[in-house]
Amino acid sequence: MSTVTLNINGNEIVAEEGLTILEVAQRSEITIPTLCFLKGKTSTKPCGICMVEVEGHKGFLRSCITPATNGMSIQTDSAAVVEHRQKRLAVLSETHFGDCKAPCNLTCPGQINVQGYIAHVARGEFEEALRVVMDRNPLPFSVGRVCPRFCESRCRRILIDESVSINHLKRFVADWCMSNNIDLKIPKEKPTGKRIAVIGGGPAGLTAAWFLTRKGHDVTIFEAAPKLGGALRYGFPNFKIPNDIVDYEVDTILRMGINIRLSQQWGKDFTLQDLRDMGFDATFIGIGATIDIPFEIPCTDKENVYSATKYLRIVNEGGKLDLGRKAAVVGGNNIAIEVARSLLREGVDQVTIVYPRSRLEMPANQRNVREAEKEGVQFLLMASPSGLCAIPAESNRLKLDLIRMKLSESDERGKRQILPIPGSSNSLGVDTVISSLGQMAVDGNIAGGELEEKLKMKAGGFFFASPRSSETSVEGVFAGGDAATGSKSVIQAVVSARRAANNINAYVMGCEKDPADNRFNFSRGKTFDDVSLKNFDGIGINLREKMPERPLEIATKDYDEVQLGLTEESARKEAERCLKCGCTAFDRCDLKRLDIDLKVNINKTGMGKEPIYPIDSSHRAMVVDPNKCVYCGRCEQSCEYDALSVSAESFDDEGRPLGLVIEFKENCVSCGKCVDNCSTGALNKKNRIVPIQAEEVREIPTTCPYCGTGCQMLLKVKGHTLMEISANPEIAPNYGDLCVKGRFGHNFIQHPERLKTPMIRRQKEMPLEPVSWSEALNFMAQSFSSILGEKGPDALAGLSSARCTTEENYAFQKFFRAGIGTNNVDHCARY
Amino acid sequence: MTGLVKVIGSGAMTNTINGILDGDVMLVIGSNTTETHPIIALRMLAAAKNGSKLIVADPRKIGLCDHAAEWMQQRPGTDGALINALCHVIIRDGLEDKKYIEEHAENFEAFKSSIAGCSPEWAEKITTVPANVIEKVAHTFAKGKASGIYYTLGITQHTSGTDNVLTLANLAIITGNLGKDGGGLNPLRGQNNVQGASDMGCLPQFFPGYQSVSDEKAKAKFAKIWNAPMTDKPGLMATEMNDAMSDGRVAGLWIMGENPVLSDPNAAHAIKALKKLDCLVVQDIFLNETAEIADVVLPAASFAEKDGTFTNTERTVRRVRKAVPPPGEARDDLSIINMVSDRILGKQHNGYHGAIDSVFHTVPPFASEVFDELSTCWGALAGMNYERFENEVLAWPCPDKDHPGTPILHKDGVPRGKAWLSEITWSGSEETPCADYPFILTTGRVLYQYHTGTMTRRSEVLEGAAPSAYVEMNQADADALDVKDKEIIVASSRRGKIEIAVHVTDRVKKGLVFIPFHYKEASVNLLTNDALDPHCKIPEAKVCAIKIEKLKHV
Repeated sequence: MSTVTLNINGNEIVAEEGLTILEVAQRSEITIPTLCFLKGKTSTKPCGICMVEVEGHKGFLRSCITPATNGMSIQTDSAAVVEHRQKRLAVLSETHFGDCKAPCNLTCPGQINVQGYIAHVARGEFEEALRVVMDRNPLPFSVGRVCPRFCESRCRRILIDESVSINHLKRFVADWCMSNNIDLKIPKEKPTGKRIAVIGGGPAGLTAAWFLTRKGHDVTIFEAAPKLGGALRYGFPNFKIPNDIVDYEVDTILRMGINIRLSQQWGKDFTLQDLRDMGFDATFIGIGATIDIPFEIPCTDKENVYSATKYLRIVNEGGKLDLGRKAAVVGGNNIAIEVARSLLREGVDQVTIVYPRSRLEMPANQRNVREAEKEGVQFLLMASPSGLCAIPAESNRLKLDLIRMKLSESDERGKRQILPIPGSSNSLGVDTVISSLGQMAVDGNIAGGELEEKLKMKAGGFFFASPRSSETSVEGVFAGGDAATGSKSVIQAVVSARRAANNINAYVMGCEKDPADNRFNFSRGKTFDDVSLKNFDGIGINLREKMPERPLEIATKDYDEVQLGLTEESARKEAERCLKCGCTAFDRCDLKRLDIDLKVNINKTGMGKEPIYPIDSSHRAMVVDPNKCVYCGRCEQSCEYDALSVSAESFDDEGRPLGLVIEFKENCVSCGKCVDNCSTGALNKKNRIVPIQAEEVREIPTTCPYCGTGCQMLLKVKGHTLMEISANPEIAPNYGDLCVKGRFGHNFIQHPERLKTPMIRRQKEMPLEPVSWSEALNFMAQSFSSILGEKGPDALAGLSSARCTTEENYAFQKFFRAGIGTNNVDHCARY
Repeated sequence: MTGLVKVIGSGAMTNTINGILDGDVMLVIGSNTTETHPIIALRMLAAAKNGSKLIVADPRKIGLCDHAAEWMQQRPGTDGALINALCHVIIRDGLEDKKYIEEHAENFEAFKSSIAGCSPEWAEKITTVPANVIEKVAHTFAKGKASGIYYTLGITQHTSGTDNVLTLANLAIITGNLGKDGGGLNPLRGQNNVQGASDMGCLPQFFPGYQSVSDEKAKAKFAKIWNAPMTDKPGLMATEMNDAMSDGRVAGLWIMGENPVLSDPNAAHAIKALKKLDCLVVQDIFLNETAEIADVVLPAASFAEKDGTFTNTERTVRRVRKAVPPPGEARDDLSIINMVSDRILGKQHNGYHGAIDSVFHTVPPFASEVFDELSTCWGALAGMNYERFENEVLAWPCPDKDHPGTPILHKDGVPRGKAWLSEITWSGSEETPCADYPFILTTGRVLYQYHTGTMTRRSEVLEGAAPSAYVEMNQADADALDVKDKEIIVASSRRGKIEIAVHVTDRVKKGLVFIPFHYKEASVNLLTNDALDPHCKIPEAKVCAIKIEKLKHV
């Protein structure tokens, strides 16, 4: 073998003669980016990315076709080359039209792969759907009940009819797994030997504990209350999150292996220094915001006046209060709404929410406001309490003085202040007043010791935590959730605590943080106004599945849940409504990868704005979206059957195709190799509807179970679910080729008809009945043993299978020969 | 396999899949390779593109015919006559590899005289393949630098299956194509691990490694390895078990991963026999048709849910790896075998080899340990283990840890010393068309389905592509019967009848019809013949006589 010596980026390289520059570089582990290159083929539709500079040559050369010759001096990543590639990628990206991630996914504060779990629901893979949720949110039961649903507000289905009921689907999968007693078997990394203390067992504390435990740390939760759950248990009334649901959710998290110390009050029972002394490597503060902002009003009489969290805690613990017939709730946040709805259930006839601004300005979620109104809560808006006094003589116990408010002209920031209207005062006779003016984490100083004193606080009574590192002003002490951010939704506490957990892990391990999701995203339109309605051609109106609810006249009499949850059938139907905006090639798109690597800012250089071609689903196994095609030609080149053609009527000035046609020919055998080689999401496998994003995916090499060729396959597995099958082009005997059965013939593994339990027929003519292993084995043993006893070993026989492994076949015949004592063992290979 | 063991001393594909590219002539006979072995067919097509000559012998106009240099459309069941005629021409014209025959073959003279009468003209009458085509093919094959033979069940599923294989062996031997890159005698295995199951002695006459159960030395060897006495009594072949069940000789049957109710030729007979058992145990991943009539059903794991190995058609041992857990209470087959062993034998076999604590196990719990045990049973696997599989592709024989495996067999002669040239008299099919049953029915597979469809029919892409059974029929026959494409007809044989849609096509000649066997709603095995090859007991699934009638509307 003769060799050539050349220089790439200053390194002398000796290579086999007859290779291209690209091949030499690849073998020397120098990456030259390319979109169109396929090993062993010469691109007929060059992408123009793999260009390099060669000394003595003007301009750039295609490294994929230029032979590497002796003495060449090559630059693969000079500034000029990089600039050329960036320009070329920008040109290709400018006409690439699609969404990388779906809007629901981008809007979710938890950045949960929403489209992914919806697709799992549509396929009936509820367990895997819950795994996708819990990859980023360990509280699906609660969040599935109380989430403000940022995602649904951006669902593109709104442009057709109504958004997909995403949150109901989340709740459905959580509840389904609960009622089917599913153990998700979420994996945990091996023990790190690091110990972490978590103060607070509410949403933030539980979340931090969950993610830290998964990282292999030894976590202990310190909770002041006698039970875990925090706001989930004490902040939301039972009709929103029932206690048994909280119990189950907490148990699911604790099953990871988390230590708990209950009824341990920080500052009283232990200090931060104590935790250090106990050997904790880091501490997370997630105590929430549970101290009500005081209701400061002249003449306040404390009798029959409560703050919201105090009231909810009493009620949630089953306490009974004398509340009278009429009650006023002061404040417009979500807690105020929950309090008002709870008061109705406590038997109060008339509940009025008093709020100084308009209804739409209420901080409470408007969905909650509507639900409260439906139940009979009244609203006294543009009014503010000015005084309160007890009037024992009259029919009501309290008189709440009010003054009407108006809005000022906009100030320089555009905000309108509320101003009292002079002389507009009136009063409301009530028996109970509950204030919900917002909550804080700490009122004044934190008791404890020196370290506590060093904790820097933010205005409003919250802990300072660095936005970058989640660390407080004390080293090794971190904070997250409402305690650091102020009162927000549960999902936001989850996100804050998850981020803190990532930071704590980096701190205790002295490693880099897990990188945040890349924000690079092709979009078919960032706002609804930007989205072309052409996207929805041919999609008919199909309204949401109705959430079953208990009738209000009954629901408002007790604390049971109002909403009963979707049924399996309606959940799957609802999931079918998803428009699948996000790209299912997310995990393999080369265009996205190169744009990110080469820092192409498509927000500046542009991306496709509207669909030019209809999406073609006519092929039995593949879906074609020409709007995403970059005309790299890899599909066509990879086809071993010459069964695919990619052509264009003409080309624009930049060489991009116009009138693009991607066509499968009659002789296509649906092997799917073209999809595996597509550089974008222009080609997709029809049955691969779940986008894979940050979720952990394992690729397991194995052997195809169909014919005797023994093709080597890669099983792509997420959680416990087989996502798709591909093949490694380097491995014999198939070198990346698979037939249609190899790539598409594996749905049977997750098929609902799989046998899941042993069965026996107690007597002939009786039906088969499911039994335990023990019973089935005993039944079989009894029968075989008596045959053996009566007729001898040759009255038993075994038929093994060419489908089973060599080891199993060996064991099977050994059982018959050595165990039973007969040669009556065969397999069905003759057929 | 029985045939090859006899004449060569080993019964497996002699060459490799990718070695197809090294030859210059390919004879593909009784193999619809593009549909049954698509990736192997890809190599054949690539070889043809590179100038290798592809010769197809098949009664149907299969996919490969479009790429073939020659296509011999023999009448079903006449393969033996065709091959004998090829040998006849080669010897008549002095094209045989005299040196190879001299050094590596025996019984040449007797063989030569046995085919003296098998002239191309004689064969033309039997096979309908023109004599001049036979001559041309014989010349092409014999003159090739490396001529490979590739065949599947189209050759073997006949009452003369063993003889057919022997004629092919004769052809390979006299042209010196054994042990040659790109040549060889290559049965393409239809199922993923037929090779492994056979290698492991899931055969009534052989211990693992084709060591005969009647051989005293082998018996002693296994009695020692397994620490149990070995019986003298020969076992029953699968195809013989039906009769044994019917007359009560066999009362308990354990089926692991098969579905004979659908795959057995003469299915009605099989069902009747299975129902007579005292105890039928079926271990599978679905409640298949056989499990439906079982007394005990044990839920097993699919290939993606367990560890192990499959041995492919070219004898390479490849790893199967657990990717996901089995659903519900399902268990991997190794564990099931051990659990059953414990229940049935635990108390009687104290201290039996493999016993762990007080629990009886047939084999150790992990697949890698089982492999270590089984590799001690057969020298061909002795050098293999799971560690080597991580980085190496090993074809047996691989006798020691440093041995690289043997991709091509018989490079230095055949195991039995000299290859035996068999005298085969062509005998024809057991059942031939007659006035009552005028059509020849042949059966086979389609690309999108597999075997009895347990797996493929539950995959939407595959089922969508080939959702229902059909009978391929020539236009002339369709006209004569006055049936149209897609019309439902009644096809019946002496054994049963099915209703099935007609697919009019030029893939079959007049008088021949083809039905794929994947579909239980039109199970072709209700029609096929369970007459057995006398040597290896393979049933004649590929040829039977049927009649076709229009569906009478009541």
